[in-house]
Formats: sequence, C-alpha cells, structure tokens
Amino acid sequence: MQEVVVLGVGMHRFGKTGDAIVGEKSVTELCRHAVDMALKDAGVSWKQVQAVSAASSRFSGGKGWGLNGNDIVEDLGCTGIPVYNLSAGCAAGGNAFNIGYSLVAGGIHDLVLVVGGEVMPKGMIQTSGVEDANDPEYLRQRCVGMPGPSFWATLARRRMFDYGTTEAQMAQVTVKARKCSESNPFARFQKAVSLDEVLASPYVSNPLRLFEICPVSNGAAAAVICSKSMARRFTSKPVTVATSAVATIGFDDALPRSLAGPVPSGPSFHTEAKAAVMRAFETSGIGPRDISFTELQDNTCYYELAFPEEWGLCEPGEAERLLEAGETTPTGKMPINPSGGFVSFGEATTAMGVFQIAELTWQLRGQSGGRQVPDAKVGLAQTNGLGGNATAAILKR
Amino acid sequence: MTERDAMNDIGNQAALREPCVAGLFSDEGGASLHGARCTTCNTPYFPKVAHCRNPDCAESKIEPCSFGGEGVLWSYSVADFPPPPPHRYDKPFVPYAIGVVDLDSGLRVVGQMTDAVEAMRVGARVRLVIEPVHQEEGKAFTSWKFKLL
Repeated sequence: MQEVVVLGVGMHRFGKTGDAIVGEKSVTELCRHAVDMALKDAGVSWKQVQAVSAASSRFSGGKGWGLNGNDIVEDLGCTGIPVYNLSAGCAAGGNAFNIGYSLVAGGIHDLVLVVGGEVMPKGMIQTSGVEDANDPEYLRQRCVGMPGPSFWATLARRRMFDYGTTEAQMAQVTVKARKCSESNPFARFQKAVSLDEVLASPYVSNPLRLFEICPVSNGAAAAVICSKSMARRFTSKPVTVATSAVATIGFDDALPRSLAGPVPSGPSFHTEAKAAVMRAFETSGIGPRDISFTELQDNTCYYELAFPEEWGLCEPGEAERLLEAGETTPTGKMPINPSGGFVSFGEATTAMGVFQIAELTWQLRGQSGGRQVPDAKVGLAQTNGLGGNATAAILKR
Repeated sequence: MTERDAMNDIGNQAALREPCVAGLFSDEGGASLHGARCTTCNTPYFPKVAHCRNPDCAESKIEPCSFGGEGVLWSYSVADFPPPPPHRYDKPFVPYAIGVVDLDSGLRVVGQMTDAVEAMRVGARVRLVIEPVHQEEGKAFTSWKFKLL
C-alpha cells in the first residue's frame, strides 16, 4: 500500500438555481470551477492527472446516465485517462473519494482527481417516477407517503423518547451550525440565526423544522490526491489520508428503509454510518478520542446528537450536554461540523463527500479563518446515502 | 354533506373501495399484510421475498405469511407538507402521522396513522386497519394504516 495525501482542494460556493451565487450554471460549470481551484491549489496541471474518480448524479449532467466524470474530462480536454463514475446516492462523493484513494493506495495510479457536483431539482427529492410495484421506494410513497425528512423525524422522535431530547436542544444544533457558517465563504447561508428564529420556522416533519433540515443546493467540490512519494515534487506539507472506508447497512438496522423489517433484538441505529466509521478507526489505528474535529452528514440536526455517541466520540446520552456547554463549536472539546455543515450549505447530494475532504484539508492546514479548530491534527468525515450506503475518511496533518 | 363526509361515505362502501396497490394487503377476515416468513430463522418479510435475506440464516425456507393484529408504536413522524408524487392525497392536504410499528408478530412496519397527530405517543398500543388514503373517480383507494387503541 502507498501512503496517500491530499495535494489540493477546491469548491464552488453552494447556492440555489437562479440566485446570485450559482445562477443557471450547469453541473459541469460548477465542477470545472472546483477542479480548476483544486489543480491550482495542488500546483498540478490537468495533463498530470492520471485518472478521474467522479460522483455520479441522477439529477443533472452525465448525459442522463450519470457519466459526470466524462463531462468534466471533455470540458478539461480529453487526454484518454480512465474515468470512474460512482453512484451511491448522497454518499457518492465519499465513494468517489474512496475509489480515488484505493487506486493510489494500491499503486494503480499516482495522481487522481476526485470530483462531485450537483444541480438539484427543487423541493423534496422524489423517487424514480417509474410506477413499479416491485420498487420498494414506489410502494412506500404510494401506500404510505413517507418522504426523506420523515425518516429523520422518526429517528429524532425516538431519541426524544429514549433520552428526553427537547426541540430546543435540536434547534440549538442549527444555531451552532449557522454561527460557523458566518466565516465560511463557500456556505450558501452565511448568516447566524437565533434559537427563536429556528423554533419559529415551520415543521417540515414534526419534530423537525425547516431550519433544522438541509435544503437541496447546487454546488461542487474537488480534490487532487496522490502518493506520498510523488507529493514531494509539489509540497513539503501535504495532508495525509489516514484511511478511507465504505460500508453498507446491516440486516438488523432499526429503521425499515422500504416498508418493513424484523424487529431488531437490540439498539441498531444507523448501521451503515457506524460500520463505515468503525472500519475507518480499525484500518487507521486512530481511535475516536484521537479525533480533533468531525464533519458528519447533518441532513438534519438530529444526526449531530446521535452520531458522535454511536461512534464513541462521547458517551451515550451525553451529546445534548456537550452541545449546551459549547463543546461542539470549533473551539470546544468535540467540534462537530465547523464548516457549518449541510444545514448551512444545503445538500448538493453527490458533492458532499468531497466537500468534507476540502473542509478537512483547510482545517488541517489551519486555513479555516473564523471557524478554525485550534491545532487541528486529525479530522473525521462521514457520509450516508440512499440504498444503505455510507463512507468515512480520516485525514491527518 | 361536506366533501370529506362524502369521501368517508364512499370509503365506507366496500364495492367502491380499491387497494392503492393490488396484492399487498386485504381487509377480508380482518386487516392483513401479505408477506412471508422464513421457517428456518423465523424472519418476517413484507412485502413477500423469494429468498431469506438474513445473512445468518442456515437455509432459506420462505412460506407465505399474513401479518395483522396489534403492536406498539416504536416511533412516528409527521407529513407536515404533502409528499411528492407518486403519493396521492385528497385536497386540501391534512398533515398526518406516519408510524413505525412493532407488530406483536415480530414485524416492524411503516404506515399512516388514522388518529390526529396530537394523539400520538411512542409506546402506544395500535391495531392494523385498512382505510382509504385518497379518492379518485368515485373510488376510495385504500392502504394499511394503524389505529391507536
């Protein structure tokens, strides 16, 4: 195995179709911006890139077949290099990073571009549109009517029952996140909100409110990764990829993702996310208490309370107390989502795994300005996606 | 008669009721979901599966199995806004609760709740029922739901 480093990262600020940030830009234009920035940051020319690992979208670009990596290569100039288009729902960016990492670690290529971007349709994410009684997604929507936010709300409600979590505590997560976003020039929202404002926002799926759920956004992120031996040609202080892991859901997961499942014999929440993070700890030899800060997939503020406990970053039932004590802010003991998270960015689904790599890199270089985690040494990133997909990565100085 | 009363009227006439998806559930002889169970490892499935999906099961032996009766509300959420298609609903939209229910037979299943959102509480006893979800062309399209006991 070769040691892998991040040489350069880039991002297009997140926005909403038609606004002053992303306007009518195509997903390829957004990605091109992020890639140009990452190449410049790395000091690498396009012709030095040996392969592309791209998150594959079903919403935009990719010739209608998710061939988003091919669109980017055409735009940059076809050099004949291999292109991998990776599909894993909202975890696709994390998956693309994992494949890029594996190609370099395994010695197949020395320098790989990882990219993810998205132009999202408006409103709640819909199913495929095909009325197929064999498709559990179709059955769930047709027979029950249970959109994405309902999953998060079901889990949040159960946490309220198990731990006595209050709606004000969940709102406090958003207040913390939006405070971080004030100093992130790439966030779609860069304005703090008050607890009262969050609690005054309407329920999307009770107990979760509009300000506590990430909207859909347009955006893109890119990373140039290479072997440590090659990195010496470009920089003296690369950020090291300690590990990258992928996992899928367990059979005994607590929440049925289609219509039903067996009643589990014990607690088995978010089995895909937990498996990916545990695998990352195992393969890197880095433990939860070694982590300086975490970027996790906060589609909803609830995850910021549940995930750190499940991964051993803190004790079960402790997350609310740490939140209220300010320990999850960038200067606290357990910083979570110093970037501002999905709640501040909105979700450009397939960009998110790469967006996290960019934030981890900036934090570990000490380039995060007002949201900087002091003396950040080790960062953990995690994504979730449809189909029971999850990824985790650990980067270190 | 209000529009909603009229709908209830149609919804109560068996001849005008039709499952929103055929073959998944029925109301004859009590509300039931048509699923399966592996007789080796006892894992319940809804909808039916061709093979047992339990990775720890020694040998897949799938038999048809119907699920109904009572259970416990494990958790719930609320559709405060109309879900996107292919969900269909009667206008004006009325927010409803969506339960995740542990049936006494060992199946954890999602379904709409028939009672008002304010009445929901985790741990409540519930019963499986077949009820209309929306009305179209003089017919009431039904699905499985849960009723608080």
